[in-house]
Amino acid sequence: MADRYSFSLTTFSPSGKLVQIEYALNAVNQGITALGIKATNGIVLATEKKSSSPLADQKTVSKISSITPNIGMVYSGMGPDYRVLVDRARKVSHTGYKRIYNEYPPTRILVQDVAKVMQEATQSAGVRPYGVSLLVAGWDEGIEPDVEGEVQDTEESGTKKSSKTGGIHKGGPMLYQVDPSGSYYPWKATAIGKSATKAKTFLEKRYSEELELEDAIHIALLTLKDNIEGEMNGDSIEIGIVGAPADHLLGIEGVEGAQGPRFRKLTPQEIEDYLTSL
Amino acid sequence: MVGKDCVAIACDLRLGMQALTISNNFPKVFQYGDVFLGLTGLATDVNTVSDLFRYKTNMYRLREERSIAPRTMANLVSSSLYERRFGPYFVSPVVAGLDPKTSKPFICGFDSIGCIDFAKDFIVSGTASDQLFGICEGLWEADLEPDDLFETISQALLNATDRDALSGWGAHVYIIEKDKVTKRLLKGRQD
Amino acid sequence: MPGFDFSNYNRNAALHAQGMPLPKATSTGTTIVGCIFDGGVVVRFSAIPLRPSMNLFPHPIKPPLSMIAADTRATSGPIVADKNCEKLHYIAPQIWCAGAGTAADTEFTTALISSQLELHAMSTGRKPRVVTCMTMLKQHLFRYQGHIGAYLVVAGVDPTGTHLFTVHAHGSTDKLPYVTMGSGSLAAMSVFESKWKAELTQEEAVELASEAILAGIWNDLGSGSNVDVAVITPEKTTLKRNLIKPNEKVPKQQSYKFARGTTAVLNEKIIKKSEIGRYVSVQEVPLESDKMEVDS
Repeated sequence: MADRYSFSLTTFSPSGKLVQIEYALNAVNQGITALGIKATNGIVLATEKKSSSPLADQKTVSKISSITPNIGMVYSGMGPDYRVLVDRARKVSHTGYKRIYNEYPPTRILVQDVAKVMQEATQSAGVRPYGVSLLVAGWDEGIEPDVEGEVQDTEESGTKKSSKTGGIHKGGPMLYQVDPSGSYYPWKATAIGKSATKAKTFLEKRYSEELELEDAIHIALLTLKDNIEGEMNGDSIEIGIVGAPADHLLGIEGVEGAQGPRFRKLTPQEIEDYLTSL
Repeated sequence: MVGKDCVAIACDLRLGMQALTISNNFPKVFQYGDVFLGLTGLATDVNTVSDLFRYKTNMYRLREERSIAPRTMANLVSSSLYERRFGPYFVSPVVAGLDPKTSKPFICGFDSIGCIDFAKDFIVSGTASDQLFGICEGLWEADLEPDDLFETISQALLNATDRDALSGWGAHVYIIEKDKVTKRLLKGRQD
Repeated sequence: MPGFDFSNYNRNAALHAQGMPLPKATSTGTTIVGCIFDGGVVVRFSAIPLRPSMNLFPHPIKPPLSMIAADTRATSGPIVADKNCEKLHYIAPQIWCAGAGTAADTEFTTALISSQLELHAMSTGRKPRVVTCMTMLKQHLFRYQGHIGAYLVVAGVDPTGTHLFTVHAHGSTDKLPYVTMGSGSLAAMSVFESKWKAELTQEEAVELASEAILAGIWNDLGSGSNVDVAVITPEKTTLKRNLIKPNEKVPKQQSYKFARGTTAVLNEKIIKKSEIGRYVSVQEVPLESDKMEVDS
C-alpha cells in the first residue's frame, strides 16, 4: 500500500477546518429529514420514505433499524453509508459488549462505539467520512430519573450523595445524535436533514417535559406533515418507537427475567391509524 | 453465603507451598466497588487475576460511570476465564454482592474455565471445598440475619479448614448489607 | 470468541509436568433428550376448503412439534457442583439447545452461535433456521477437533419446518426423530425405544421425555435433581423449568444457628455507605465545554 494513498484524505485547511467533514455535513443537510422526540415513557423516531419514482417498490425500503432489542436508529444523508453503520453497530454491540457481559450495551455506550467508528473515518488513511448523521434511541435499565430524585430527597445524612461516586446507572429513555465528525449529543427532541432547522423550531414550540409516548408520536407526525413533500400515509413515512417491553414479540414463555424488545417499528396500518386520528 | 438482605464471603489466610506454610496473611477476597471476588488456587494466578479484574472493573467504571453490578461482574469473570479455555488460570473464583437495583443477594462460583454456578444458598471453592460442601449443606439455612450469617459462615469455614491440612491460619469474613460492609478478622488455629 | 488466548498454555504444561494437578472443569454429567411428535392431529380434512389447492391433498393441519429436556445436575469429578443448573440453552426464540459434556463449553458455544445467528437474522431479515444453527455448531466444533467438549441436542421450528439434530464435540451430526445424549443417554434411550411413537399429543410427549430424563436421574450417577423441558411449537417456545422436582431436600427438623458471639473475632471494621466520604472525596470539576470540543 506504500505506493497508494496511505494518508488521510481528511486534512486540515489553513484556517483550521476539516473541509471533508463539512462536505459530509452538507450531504447530511441535503438528506431527507428525520426526527426524534423523547417522552417520559419512551421515544419516537420518524422519517419520510421518499422515492424518486412512482415505480419504486416502497415496501422493501427501510430506513429505521433496530440495533439491539432496546435500541433503534434512523439517519439522514447517504443510505449506503447508513447500512454499513447499522451492521457495525449491531456487530459491536455483540462483540464488544454482549459476548463479554451477557447483556446488551446501554445507549450511551453503543453511541460511543458508533461515534468511534465515524471518528476513525475522519483520521484514517484512504477513507472518506461517513455521509450520515444518526439519531439513536434506546431504553436503559437502571434507576429511572424521577425515581432517583426521590431517593436523593430521603437521603438526610451529612455527606450528600453524589451520583458521580456512585455508581448507579440512570435508566429510562435516551436519545442521541451522532454526526460525521464523530461528535454526539444527547437531546430531548431534535431533527436532522434537509429541513432540520425548521423542524427544530417547530419542536421547540411543541415540546414539553411531561410528554407521553402517544403525544410524542402525535407531535412527530405533525412535524413531518409540516416538512413532507408528498402525501402522508402508512407507506410514505416510517416510525420507530421505544416503549413498554413488547412481550408478545418475545416468542418464548417461562424464561425467568426475559423481557420483550422495547424498540419496534410501527406497521403501515398502525401509522395509518395514528394519521386518521391526527 | 446468602442471608436475609445480605451476603457473606469469607476466606482463610494461608499461603503455602504444598506442606510448607509461607504466610499467614494472604487474603483471597477482593473488593471492587460494591462487588466482592474470592479467588482460590495458584497464588501467582490469584494475584494476576485479582489485578486483572481490578483493571477491568476500574475501566468499566470509567466508561459506564457506574460501578459494576454483581451479575455483570459474574459474566465478565466467566468470559474472561473462558477466553483462556486452553491455557487457564488455576483459580476458582467466587462472586458475591447485592444487586444495585433490587438489593437482592447475589452469589455465584466458577470453575477455572468460566462455567458459572448460580446458587441460591452457598458457594465453596478451594482445597477444603469437599469439607465445606458438607458442612455448609448441614449448617446453612434460609433468611439468616447478618449476625447469624456471620456465625454460620465463620463456623463453616473454621471447622472445614481445621480438617484440611492445606487451609486455615486465620480468616477474613465480610458481611455485606445494603448500607454497610463489616469486615472481621477471625482467630483461627495456626497449625 | 474466535480467538482463544493460549499464553498460559506452555506455563501450565510445564507446571503439570512438575506434578501440579490440572484444574477440574465442571461437567454436566447429564441426561439430555429431544424428540419430534405430531402434536395430536396429523391429518384432518377441512370441511370448507380455505383455498382451492387445499383439498387436493390431505394437508397436515399442524406441522410436527419438537421438544428437548434435560436433568439439572452439574458435577466436578464425584462432587455435585450444582444441584439445579440450566442445561437448556437459548439459541433463538424457536431454536433451543440441550448441552452435555464440559459445562463451560456448552454454555459458551451455544452463546456464541446464538449471537452470530441473531446478527445473521437481523441482517437477512429472516428467522434463523435450525440447519443453519446446526451447521455453524458443527463447523465451530470440528475446527477445534473435539477439544471443545460440547455435546448438543439442537431442536427448533423455522419456516422450513420442525427439526431435531444432535451435534458431537468432534463435529459429527445426526438427524433423528428422537435422540438422547450424555452419560444418561442409554437409560433415556431405553425409554424412547420402548415408548416413542410419532402420534403423540403435546402432553404425552412431555410425559415421555420427562420419563426418559427420570430414567437418567435414577440410573445414571452423573445425572440427578430435576427435570427441565422446553416445548417448541410454530407459535412459541415454552420453557418448563423444574417441571418435575423428585429430589427436594427434606427440611431440617431443627435450626442449627449458632449463638451470636460463638466465633472469636480479633478485629472488626465497619464501613457504612453514608460515611463513604471519609474514604473517598468527590469534587465537582467545572465544565469547560465550550473550550473542549471543536465542531466543524
